[in-house]
Amino acid sequence: MKRFWRDLTSHYRYAIYSAKSELKSEVANSYLNWIWWVLEPFCFMLIYAFIFGVVFEAREQYFPAFIFIGITAWDFFNRCLTQSVKLLKNNKSIVTKVYIPKFILLISKMFFNGYKMLFSFGIIVIMIIYFRIPITLNILYVIPSFIVLFVVTFACMTHLMHYGVFIQDLANVTNIVLRMVFYMTGIFYNIEKRLPAQYTGILMKGNPMALVLSSLRKCILYGQAPDVKWLIIWFIIGIIVAALGVRKIYKNENSYVKVI
Amino acid sequence: MEENKNSAISVRNVCIDYKSLKTGSIKQNFFKLKKVEQEVFHAVRNVSFEVPEGQILGITGKNGSGKSTMLRAIAGIFSADSGEIDLHGHTISLLSIGVGFKNELSGRENIILSGMLLGFSREFIIEKMPEIIEFAGIGNFIDMPVKTYSSGMYSKLAFSITAILETEIMLIDEVLSVGDQKFKKKSYNKMKELISKRDRTVVIVSHSMSTLEDLCDQIIWMHDGEIVMYDKPEIVLPVYTDFMR
Repeated sequence: MKRFWRDLTSHYRYAIYSAKSELKSEVANSYLNWIWWVLEPFCFMLIYAFIFGVVFEAREQYFPAFIFIGITAWDFFNRCLTQSVKLLKNNKSIVTKVYIPKFILLISKMFFNGYKMLFSFGIIVIMIIYFRIPITLNILYVIPSFIVLFVVTFACMTHLMHYGVFIQDLANVTNIVLRMVFYMTGIFYNIEKRLPAQYTGILMKGNPMALVLSSLRKCILYGQAPDVKWLIIWFIIGIIVAALGVRKIYKNENSYVKVI
Repeated sequence: MEENKNSAISVRNVCIDYKSLKTGSIKQNFFKLKKVEQEVFHAVRNVSFEVPEGQILGITGKNGSGKSTMLRAIAGIFSADSGEIDLHGHTISLLSIGVGFKNELSGRENIILSGMLLGFSREFIIEKMPEIIEFAGIGNFIDMPVKTYSSGMYSKLAFSITAILETEIMLIDEVLSVGDQKFKKKSYNKMKELISKRDRTVVIVSHSMSTLEDLCDQIIWMHDGEIVMYDKPEIVLPVYTDFMR
């Protein structure tokens, strides 16, 4: 634990700089560069809003904003997880040449994806103004919701990165699992309204992403307070799982370099 | 020998194994669950030596004798399976080419990125930047994306970063042949200059007899993970040359 803090404080500046430069190098070659970070979720929102709003007649208040919050937070989670599977292999040139605490690579990835998420949240602010959504004090619950999102994401990433080194087709499995979670998270429908009551409870409590998404929507769009008890529970679970993951990474650090 | 000096690197009874932890698919792992057989390959066996401050140590030996593994263990990239490596609090870097370069970014940005990976603060790197750029001698290309560089320019830049950002202990793994004739000479001289500073400790892994003879104070000859000889170059090198014939 001590070592985690020491490594974090000594390397976080590298993590930020590396994330920044990765962002820069990503936009260096495209015409619309950073606009894509907004354009992509925006287009998906239009597609979902049409399919589910018009074809399947979903009725949610502020439906486009409802979907957009879902996509934005989900994209962050999804990207972080898929990228962490191959993270050590893709950074082979770094890992085999200098010593770096391996979870710094994860944190750098989180900054990278988090920055993109920040951009799309700009769009949400615009939507709030456009739809004249009333803002209440409950909006402050955005902060704990995001903290839970970050902790849970980091916890999953540590384990994926570890097993990604040893199991080559883990990427295929994560894709399938993530797709399943995607549908169980309620990106484009409201879990609490559309599903029979017995499933709702399980999904809302057992799936941290569903919990985070509904918390974000409640406090941003509908001025309600989220389920604080379960946010705290998932925060604690996340911390424990992340701590186990970091310990596992420290323990196996030696073998990573030898295997890749 | 300089007995009055403190040691910079102490290596005590170090063993490094490569377990054949092969990466496999999930299917393979399922079948392996029952019969866990792990071949262990001993890359470095029970090696001990001391390097005093300011010494230039050469390590030689045939391919696969554990030289690079030893060097990477000293650099801290992985730790020894048993035994101990003590750097007595010195800063260390493994001189390697282009760590963490991102091809779409300009040379300048890559200098900062690579330097930070080597453990320097951003301010320090920016302060040293003009010196690095001048030494690399690639002119206006410094502000162009690295992917537009020729391979020679790439390694020139990469070498300059590690050459200018100095640490107390330098580990060098066979990188003295970089760029064209002119730069090669320049970098060799710079290397010599860097190396011969009194307070700097250097470990060089090389196959080149002339380099070793020219630069080193002491030579370690490794064979199959063990030290065969550890002595002055005049004594080790003739025996080694004989052995390799």
